[in-house]
Amino acid sequence: MNEAMIEMHHVFKTYPSQISALSDITLEILPGEFAFIVGPSGSGKSTLLRILFCAERPTSGEVVVHGIHITQPDFKKIYQLRRTMGIVSQDFKLLRDRTVNENVAFALEITGHIREEAKSKASEILRRVGLEEREGDSILALSAGEQQRVAIARALVNSPPLLLADEPTGNLDARMTLDVMEIFTDLHQKGTTIVFATQFTGLIKRYSYRAIRLLDGRKADSHKVEEVKATG
Amino acid sequence: MMFFLQYVIRRTFQNMMGNLFSNLITIGIIAISMLIFSTFTLLAFNLTNFLKIWEDKIEVIAYLKRGTPSSEVEPLLKKTRLLEGVETVRYVSPYDAMGFMETKLGGQKNLLEGIQPAVLPPSFEIQMKKDYRNSTKIKEVVAHLKEIPQFEEIQYGQEWVETFSVLVHILRLTQWILGGLLLIAVVFITSNTLQLTISSRREEIEVMHWVGTSPSFIRIPFYLEGLIQGFLGGGLAILFLFLLHQGLFLYIPPSMQAWLAKIPVLFLPLETIAWILLGGMVLGFFGSFVASMRVLKYK
Repeated sequence: MNEAMIEMHHVFKTYPSQISALSDITLEILPGEFAFIVGPSGSGKSTLLRILFCAERPTSGEVVVHGIHITQPDFKKIYQLRRTMGIVSQDFKLLRDRTVNENVAFALEITGHIREEAKSKASEILRRVGLEEREGDSILALSAGEQQRVAIARALVNSPPLLLADEPTGNLDARMTLDVMEIFTDLHQKGTTIVFATQFTGLIKRYSYRAIRLLDGRKADSHKVEEVKATG
Repeated sequence: MMFFLQYVIRRTFQNMMGNLFSNLITIGIIAISMLIFSTFTLLAFNLTNFLKIWEDKIEVIAYLKRGTPSSEVEPLLKKTRLLEGVETVRYVSPYDAMGFMETKLGGQKNLLEGIQPAVLPPSFEIQMKKDYRNSTKIKEVVAHLKEIPQFEEIQYGQEWVETFSVLVHILRLTQWILGGLLLIAVVFITSNTLQLTISSRREEIEVMHWVGTSPSFIRIPFYLEGLIQGFLGGGLAILFLFLLHQGLFLYIPPSMQAWLAKIPVLFLPLETIAWILLGGMVLGFFGSFVASMRVLKYK
């Protein structure tokens, strides 16, 4: 049996205002798996993803990513962990004063690649997401769907084995959602592990991937992790 | 390594140019703070220098009791020369003293007409060894001189030396107290400007956090920005102080210039200038360090 890419054991997250975001979450995601985290707004999906990329620490419980116990108090090298994962969010987080290529190349430059090499690799990734024609355009000239594809390209540029996507289709219309989902499907087929948080149950029905449902996330006593489907 | 340096320099200048106004204000405030500190340093330096020149010229005059037999002068000279701290001793007879006064009065020496040299007391002019030309050591020698019964009075400009030393000490103290207060102010100001810079780069820093940029890669450009602000602020302070120093001689009346020619008003030595520049850089660095600790936490 494969060692899990992600393991969460009895994870609780309570904010200082006593709002419980996650309660007793235990799950495992295997390498190469595509897993939807599904639930309504406020169910704890984003909190779960933020814990996985160390933007937040759980109140209790254990989290293991790539075999690294990220919840241990002596774990400090968040940046090293982040290099093994790509992060995509609903609001894209693109740099508006830069071109499409510069946005993607930036992720390489700041992790130690020389400029020319970064630009060339960015072009290659942009071709994969179908934006080769828009490389020199300003981010502001792109549609929301195209901007999300740039964000995905940036997340992929360091070839991470794990992709965490928090509502990546949240701001997109149906056609753009399908375009973006096509990219994720392609990445999954090429072996990338994908954790995809969404509140749209339609996606789960359309794509036969495993879905983990978070219910009633704000109430600690009613938290459940429900395996909707497990096709892995 | 080369790439890292290129990146850091490029990023630092992008940050500075992107927030040019707040950077200029910070550099200006650092310059004013450092100028105040440097002015006190310059004053203290010149007064210390003046005190040193004055102390170098300091001599003790021991007046002999009237009627001291001339046969006692030579043994007394020998005895005085043997005292610890004494370099040379010269006997000034009443006739020598009269000659000295005539020279000093120049064209008005007729004022001394009718005055007999005998009314002037004979004296010893005592030059001190270099290490003894300060108020503490002179007091020790004077105490020994006072034990010699043939001396009637000992003069050495004690009050001047002590007042001057106190003045220099007060200046030094003010310099460091002000320095301490300005240090806190500069760190606070630099830290706030850098927070503005960091805030204007918030989205970029967030992306950097997401893709796993190492914390030093994110922070070093901001540290460098603080260092540059401190260096430029310190440099401007030194430049203004130099212009003020030069201007002092341009705008003082010629009569005072002749007087000042005897007292050299020096500019700060290179070593002190280097320390001031380094101080500015250290303060700038601390400011940026405080800012980055506050707002550049990895999240």
